[in-house]
Amino acid sequence: MRPAERAIVLECVSKRFPLPGTSGGLLALSELSLAVGAGEFVAVLGPSGCGKSTLLRLVASLEKPSTGSVAVNGAPPGLVSARHALGVAFQDHALLPWLTVRDNVALPFKIAGRHVDAPAVARLIELVGLAGFGNARPKQLSGGMRQRASIARALVLDPEVLLLDEPFGALDAVTRRQMNVELQRIWSERRITTMLITHSVDEALFLADRVVVMSGRPGRIIREVVVPFARPRDPEVMRSEGFHRLVDELTSALDS
Amino acid sequence: MTRPLLVRLVEDYWGVVLLLCAWQLWVVISRFNVIVMPTPTAVLRDLLSHPDVYLDNVGVTLAVAAFGLVAGMAVGTGLAVAAWFSAITAGLLNPITVLFSSVPVVALIPVIARLLGYDTSTVLAIVVIITFFPSFVFASSGLRSAPPGSEDLFRVLGASRLDLLRHLALPAAMPNLAIAFRLASAHAILAAMVAEFLMGTSGLGYLFAKTKSDFQTEQAFGASAVATAISAAAFLLAGRVERWARERYS
Amino acid sequence: MKRTLLGSLGIALFLALWQAIGQFKLAGISWPPLSAVLDMLSDASRLPLFRRALSATLASTAVGYAWGMIAGLALATLAHLLPWLRRGSDRLAAVLNSVPSIALGPIFLVLLSRDSTPAAVSSIHVFFIVFVSTSSGLQRASAAHRDLFEVLGADRLERFFRLEFPAALPPLVSGLRLAWPAALIGAIIGEWFGASRGIGILIINAMQNFQIVLLWCAVMLAVVASLFFYGLLTIAERAAYARFG
Repeated sequence: MRPAERAIVLECVSKRFPLPGTSGGLLALSELSLAVGAGEFVAVLGPSGCGKSTLLRLVASLEKPSTGSVAVNGAPPGLVSARHALGVAFQDHALLPWLTVRDNVALPFKIAGRHVDAPAVARLIELVGLAGFGNARPKQLSGGMRQRASIARALVLDPEVLLLDEPFGALDAVTRRQMNVELQRIWSERRITTMLITHSVDEALFLADRVVVMSGRPGRIIREVVVPFARPRDPEVMRSEGFHRLVDELTSALDS
Repeated sequence: MTRPLLVRLVEDYWGVVLLLCAWQLWVVISRFNVIVMPTPTAVLRDLLSHPDVYLDNVGVTLAVAAFGLVAGMAVGTGLAVAAWFSAITAGLLNPITVLFSSVPVVALIPVIARLLGYDTSTVLAIVVIITFFPSFVFASSGLRSAPPGSEDLFRVLGASRLDLLRHLALPAAMPNLAIAFRLASAHAILAAMVAEFLMGTSGLGYLFAKTKSDFQTEQAFGASAVATAISAAAFLLAGRVERWARERYS
Repeated sequence: MKRTLLGSLGIALFLALWQAIGQFKLAGISWPPLSAVLDMLSDASRLPLFRRALSATLASTAVGYAWGMIAGLALATLAHLLPWLRRGSDRLAAVLNSVPSIALGPIFLVLLSRDSTPAAVSSIHVFFIVFVSTSSGLQRASAAHRDLFEVLGADRLERFFRLEFPAALPPLVSGLRLAWPAALIGAIIGEWFGASRGIGILIINAMQNFQIVLLWCAVMLAVVASLFFYGLLTIAERAAYARFG
């Protein structure tokens, strides 16, 4: 990848968290380097506690690296966040319970101090499959629907980068499958540079252009797999031989 | 399937009715002079025959209590917001507010009267003091009760501290503020009455003091009965407000 | 560490402000400097007076506290074990709580004696707080726990003593902690209706005789009385939550 095409760059990044009672603290990430190209969808797989959420938080400007550098489109994440160009969806949907779905999706406009683009909000609500639920409150929605709203909110300002931290982790297996198909459809519309954190191998292979496997703590990248399946991807592809082979390869990489 | 109104009333208020009957019986059996202790029926008679006296004073007490309640909640919430903005302010304020809460309000009445004068402003100040501390405590915890992950979300979206306050912390604090409102509303009326009792200016407390010293005991008890009624009503109404706030904001 | 430092700084600033306002008469003669109040408090000739007042009020408060606690616990437990009592007792407690304390004064004066009135008023204040915290505390045991006990064949009383009462302890102890200052206020108000000595009497006398510094001393004594069991009750509350929370 040429430097100019790299949207997210982590260079030799380490992250150490202070731990009371120890001198060294907790080393979450160790000399990790990763680049995500413009318009590329990269999935990060790893066992629990390997630091993959920390990785995402570094890109999201929620943490600063202890060593190394993080850049989003050439700028430090803090600057990108300040110009409201980051989109994020967490496992906690973090929808505000006192706002309707429409107001929740429109929230980033208010925070950015911009006039709310109502047609854009409406288009996104429709895109994520929540048409007709604009006036509903989060407590009236199912888990899957709340995550759809959360993703719509992440996209509403046309962010430069989309960060997803196990967005479907709290959903049951069936809903999760459906959401994967939906996310693929939604993403295909905009092709935003995306980083997805997940512990589901199926999900990673179905959604991403490239899958990166992390080791246990301290987190390092131990395997990279380019996903060969053509887009748009049919759910059928998950039954193919090639898919199963890659699942096995990645699963053994995770277990090692 | 709602039970008939009468059945419900009996179920709810048998305790109160029992108490009133016991009171009536006690006075009749002990043959108390009405100056010492009137019967509930005598009090009721006085209430019905002098409505204007009661209404005038109720108006005053209610107005002062309402004003003081709003002001006290505003001060308590304002300080909680200040503490939320700055950890230093929080550290400085917390022990002072605890100290203030340990001063029995009644002991402060004469002190404040000397500072502000023996009139309604002291009564107002007392109501503010008694409503400010629960508001501060509940607002403080409420401001920090945003849904999990929402503060991170706001940070990533590039929100300023003011954005955080306006769009996240304050709405999140509403259910707690409603609780404080319910607690404070009952206290506000009763505190106003105690202050009026000592100050002797106007309102139900003053009516009580004056009629007691004039040996018009039925009217004194009448004033107390009215105060009880509006206090209980305020508590119930505030309970409705609290339920609404909980429904709307969570 | 930082918090205790800030806290102490806050209190120090407050005390310094108090002294300054008094020293420079920024609020007139009604706000004496802290030093004057402390002087009078430590005045040997006045010590017996302060001691008597403080102990009288503390005694009434303690008695009222005990009675209110017993009554609150008893009624809440009864209403819990006999559900048909529930709504009536809730309303009764709410109404009693709405009765102005100053109205209770003359009532108890007739019912009891002059010196028992403070304790009686105080007990009403305590009763409501203990009743409410015990009532909601007894309902704290979750449905899952109750089902467990049912399946294990426990009878009603066993379930009460082994599950519901222990579950109620943390909120109950919180209520007990909050009830002390309320008890104190009740006792002070009760004293205004004819008790012979106490902090409430001190306050009225100082107010009527325009003795400003004495008034402020009375307030300080009231603060001491209020904080008297604060430490103990806070420790008890923390222990209850740690063990039964």
